[in-house]
Amino acid sequence: MPDSSALLEVQDLHVSYGRIRAVQGVSIAVPDAAVVALIGANGAGKSTLLRAISGLIRPRRGVIRFLGEDLVGLPVHQVVRRRVVHVPEGRGMLARMSVLENLRLGGFAHGGRTDLAPELDRVWALFPVLRDRRGQLAGSLSGGEQQMLAIARAMMARPRLLMLDEPSLGLAPLLVREIFRIIPRLTAAGTAVLLVEQNARMALQCAAHAYVLQTGRVVLSGRATDLLAAPEVQRAYLGAG
Amino acid sequence: MEFLAFLVVDGLLVGAIYALVALAFVVVYKASGMINFAVGEWMMLGSRMVAAGVHGLGVGLGGGLVFACVGMVAVAMAFTRVVLRQLFSQSLLTLIMVTIGLGIFMRGSAALVFAGLPGGIARPLPLEPLTVLGVPVSAEKLVAAAIAGACIVALSWFFRGSRTGLALRAIANDQQVAMSVGIDLDRHFAITWGLVGVLSVLAGTLWSFVTGGGFGVELLGLKVFPIVIVGGLDSFPGTIVGAFAIGILESLTAGYVDPVVGGGFSHVASYVVLIATLFVRPYGLFGRTEIEPR
Repeated sequence: MPDSSALLEVQDLHVSYGRIRAVQGVSIAVPDAAVVALIGANGAGKSTLLRAISGLIRPRRGVIRFLGEDLVGLPVHQVVRRRVVHVPEGRGMLARMSVLENLRLGGFAHGGRTDLAPELDRVWALFPVLRDRRGQLAGSLSGGEQQMLAIARAMMARPRLLMLDEPSLGLAPLLVREIFRIIPRLTAAGTAVLLVEQNARMALQCAAHAYVLQTGRVVLSGRATDLLAAPEVQRAYLGAG
Repeated sequence: MEFLAFLVVDGLLVGAIYALVALAFVVVYKASGMINFAVGEWMMLGSRMVAAGVHGLGVGLGGGLVFACVGMVAVAMAFTRVVLRQLFSQSLLTLIMVTIGLGIFMRGSAALVFAGLPGGIARPLPLEPLTVLGVPVSAEKLVAAAIAGACIVALSWFFRGSRTGLALRAIANDQQVAMSVGIDLDRHFAITWGLVGVLSVLAGTLWSFVTGGGFGVELLGLKVFPIVIVGGLDSFPGTIVGAFAIGILESLTAGYVDPVVGGGFSHVASYVVLIATLFVRPYGLFGRTEIEPR
């Protein structure tokens, strides 16, 4: 699937933690305004891949091309300024700041512009519950609301590429469905989503394309509907047969 | 009764200057977890630079303040770029040790660079002691406390209302998250130390006004530890309350205990309180109870 029209193109990426090779020669592509899922077991290298793209760790070798520019070696804040935004696992709330302050910080990448009204309006439309809670401390929100705030804060940067790491982790089934109902709506504003999930069924149902990672390598890729039907995926990740 | 009122008021006024010094310490701790053991030396260098502007360059007090602010911000930039950035991945303990080294370096080099220049800063106008409601009040302390108070208000506005202040609070809350929303940590650490430089000039100068000379300004750093331990290391309001409490405590012990024991106990009293606080509420009056590994 990799092609030159992709928004993000990762080629032959290798990432190590000391002597542990977490990612070994991964190549993926994310088209503009599409949802792409990365599925795989714990420790397959999914989160490491996201951390490398966002600049949190430097890959040993490989290319991360975003809109034609190589992101390897850029500091995190420079990557965010190119509107590649990462929502790490565990949500990363600024717990002692209010919901509104968290959102305003999400718009930090816009530089000196302080009027974030258009971004806020968009976020209120997606997550009405946050509007009611805007004065509350982020740390006092429920788990589901915190996950919504994490996504909302990332959307404040008007991302071209949004990377979500395990957004369903630790949430009740009803809230998981709520989150997965919202993810496809994010693309309407021109945001592509790279989604890492252990809940493979949910991820494949909302993605257009998907990659299956196993011990740091891509073992399977293709259209999400095809992967949903593939026997090896069903056996290993969907709990069938 | 009048003596008691005098001591309390005097303690409050001195406490306002202490608060400014302690805030210079707390901004660094909150942003980076670093304990700055050289606060006193920063204050000393700030006030010596003002004195150098006044006596050496003859630019007057206003010019001296501007000169010193520029100079201290330059020191802060050099420190963050040349020293802290090289130690980027070192442990926090290493960084804390570095502040001790910097303090010694500042003392030594200040003695060389400012050799022959007087360290005192003359007050712009001599003031007569005032009497408010029958209580004698030192006019210079009143003015110094008012200036310190205005600086604290400006500082809290900066942290509450400005974009940079918002970013600094985010860094204090969680560095990883701050980075992930696009905040440049290096730049904001530099801003934090620049802020310490400016606060050092202001607090060092006010302290020189009150004590009448540039002698032993670095000892001001010793006041910081009781204040921040009592107030809680990571709390701005706690720091301010702690500063007033330590100011009043020193004043009361100087008035009532020192004459009995022959002097000097007022300097020890705050450390007695420090130890007592560590036993009873180790996180301070306003600090968070959780102790997070950083």
